[in-house]
Amino acid sequence: MSNTDVVAEVRAGTKRYPGVTALSDVDFTVRRGEVRALLGKNGAGKSTLIKVLSGAEHLDSGEAFVRGRPLAGLGTRDVAGLGVATVYQELSLVPDMTVAENLFLGAWPRSRGAIDLRRMRAEAREAMARIGVHLDVDSPVDSLGSAGQQLVEIARAVGQRPALLILDEPTSSLAAAEVRQVIDAVRHVAEQGVAVIYVSHRMDEIRQVADTATVVRDGRIVETLPVGTASTQEIVTMMLGTAPDALAPRARRPSAERPVLSARGLVSEKLHGLDLDVRPGEILGIAGVLGSGRTEALRALVGLDRPDAGEIRLRGEAVRPGAFAAMLRRGLGITPENRRRQGIVPLLGVDENIVISDLRRVSRSGVLDRRAVRRAAQTLIDRLAIKTARPGTPIGTLSGGNQQKAVLARWLHAGSDVLLLDEPTRGVDVEAKRQIYHQMRELADDGRAVVFVSSEVEELADICDRIVVLRGGRAVAELSGDEIELNRVLALAIAEE
Amino acid sequence: MSTTTPTGPPVASTPARAGGRLGRNTQRLNEIGLIGAIVVLFVVLAATAPGFLTVTNQLAILRDAATVGVVAWAMTLVIVAGEIDISIGPAVAFSSVLLAKASGEWQVPFALAVLLCLAVGLLLGAGAGFLRARWGIPSFVATLGLWSGLRGLAQYMTDGLPVPLEPNGFLDVLAGSIAGIPTPAIIMAVLFGVFLFVANRTAYGRSVFAVGGNAEAARLAGISVARIRVILFATTGLLAAVSGLLLAARLGSGNGGASVGLEFDVIAAVVIGGTSLAGGKGSLLGTLLGVAFITFIGNGLVLLGVNAFFQDVVRGVIIVGAVLINVLLSHRKGAP
Repeated sequence: MSNTDVVAEVRAGTKRYPGVTALSDVDFTVRRGEVRALLGKNGAGKSTLIKVLSGAEHLDSGEAFVRGRPLAGLGTRDVAGLGVATVYQELSLVPDMTVAENLFLGAWPRSRGAIDLRRMRAEAREAMARIGVHLDVDSPVDSLGSAGQQLVEIARAVGQRPALLILDEPTSSLAAAEVRQVIDAVRHVAEQGVAVIYVSHRMDEIRQVADTATVVRDGRIVETLPVGTASTQEIVTMMLGTAPDALAPRARRPSAERPVLSARGLVSEKLHGLDLDVRPGEILGIAGVLGSGRTEALRALVGLDRPDAGEIRLRGEAVRPGAFAAMLRRGLGITPENRRRQGIVPLLGVDENIVISDLRRVSRSGVLDRRAVRRAAQTLIDRLAIKTARPGTPIGTLSGGNQQKAVLARWLHAGSDVLLLDEPTRGVDVEAKRQIYHQMRELADDGRAVVFVSSEVEELADICDRIVVLRGGRAVAELSGDEIELNRVLALAIAEE
Repeated sequence: MSTTTPTGPPVASTPARAGGRLGRNTQRLNEIGLIGAIVVLFVVLAATAPGFLTVTNQLAILRDAATVGVVAWAMTLVIVAGEIDISIGPAVAFSSVLLAKASGEWQVPFALAVLLCLAVGLLLGAGAGFLRARWGIPSFVATLGLWSGLRGLAQYMTDGLPVPLEPNGFLDVLAGSIAGIPTPAIIMAVLFGVFLFVANRTAYGRSVFAVGGNAEAARLAGISVARIRVILFATTGLLAAVSGLLLAARLGSGNGGASVGLEFDVIAAVVIGGTSLAGGKGSLLGTLLGVAFITFIGNGLVLLGVNAFFQDVVRGVIIVGAVLINVLLSHRKGAP
């Protein structure tokens, strides 16, 4: 291949953040018509590389080029002008507007001051055709489903006629069956000579869409190789490198007790016959890629969602599905995935955010006993080492890790003995992570049941006594005790269908 | 070290921390500013408005304050919860009509008629709250329905004419004074104490703040958000009925056309007091000051002989001005 084919290039790129070297002496090249998968754990440097190529970040040393132009000093707009289009995980569409309106959001074709509807529709159809998709451009975007919406996002990016298209986990919220459409669209775009960088954690999908894969680890490029020649196992080993240090003392003591909470044949939009047993005295890890039904499983178990079919038993008794308040009263507790949106009440103090789960414990006939509130909160603040100036400090001002510990403390206050933790370590610093792990271990040793959902397989493998792998809304594998090995879990989680 | 590295640059937490502190301080600042504004207003009116300082006028101010204040305490909690109730004026008028009709034409014993008014007010409010809580109808719309319906019903039941009330001892007390203080002002003061306590010291009150601050988080923590919402509107409904009784006692009649625009005086008092329309933040002390502010302006404009229509213009400008200053202050202090 000649050099004129090179669309984007990084030479000896290094990028540091305080305390972290995100990219270290990286060389990276992507050519016309090539679909390049970018693989690596969270924090390996994938996002930083993408940000550098889209102009959102600049290298500390080394050089980055797009179509031969150095990116130093250019902003995202300039880089977009050079032909780089990026589609991020979060959708940025206006749900009530039509496909056509969304494709030209803010830049609608106009004639004489009004929007030229005919031209807009025609150009919208053309833009959809460019990614090989035929959708009714007049239908509102929220009637499309996740896959359709993702396709509109891609069409919008492709509509800018990019030389380089960057897709950051475009399928993360899609069900397996929907992924196919996105893959086809991406292939279609690449055939027209566009270079594509494709980030995903799903190996099966990467095999279908990508020609080559670059594996990133700890800010370095481990290898770039043709996708066809490497086995999943080899790639996983490259992603992980040497065996990780233990993050917490491994217990590996799967509980032999009777399940405290069990589900049989749960069916809902994202669950397809899920069976699950939660036992007291152990940490049960739930692994699986995004969209595998992890969050949905927790929500169904705790009664936040009502499954279409299936049975949930608590301590042997069948419970009415969807009875959230009753489940909390009977000893369940859930820490939600999105801490800021669903976890904390930012303006209230840490103390009130903790005791909120059971105000009756700290009040007499509806009147709060301030001393009881302070005592309850202080005990938990100490136990979980929550760093806060005062117990009454608004929780919104704390760091993510301390907020998360307070949200967990809530269920200790309520005395819950079945704890469902959805991504409790997301966006949390290393120290807080350790404290959360230790807390989980203590709770399990105390005879409570801890269910730990995480997209970081490494931490699951490190601290769980038993791991259930979800795929497509079903439990497809279970590992317990010494069977738990990082590579096995990882391979199972991202394995081909 | 572990292999788990943070996915991005560590976020400096100091500015956020400072922002939180200042957030509290701005509320304090707002209250101090309001006290300052009220003092200035008081001095200016004392110097320029004839008769402002007389005992009679000061007592009249207290009585007027109760018209807004009795409902304003409950409205503060409604707005803290991120909701709104715009049905107050018609609800008050309707309640006065109901009392006159029931105790007169329908020959219901007076004590029962009073209870009927209170119960109907409570249930209507709870109904609006239920529409909000159960089906997610925005509270503005649910109470807009009441606003239109109750005004219409009150006027329809009376043909737009006042319905005289048979005088009795209870009404005399409501309209009169106890130990020299107007009864409505005493009721307002007692209710203020009750709401201050409820807002800060009860599980219900703190739950209201939690729901307003983050309804989803409150729900996941086990708070019955729907129950809270129903109670909130039941409370404003009940207190609007109480205001209706006070109004009927004062006028000696049930009056379907009374209290026009009262809801906006109440909301203005709450907002001037620093309670955020976005929910989650607010104080009853602020609302108390807001009520005082609004009442002084109303009283002063009358004493100064300002044209009745023009009074509304002046009030509009002053209310927006007060909130604008409030917003500017919190931006200046809250900005990083």
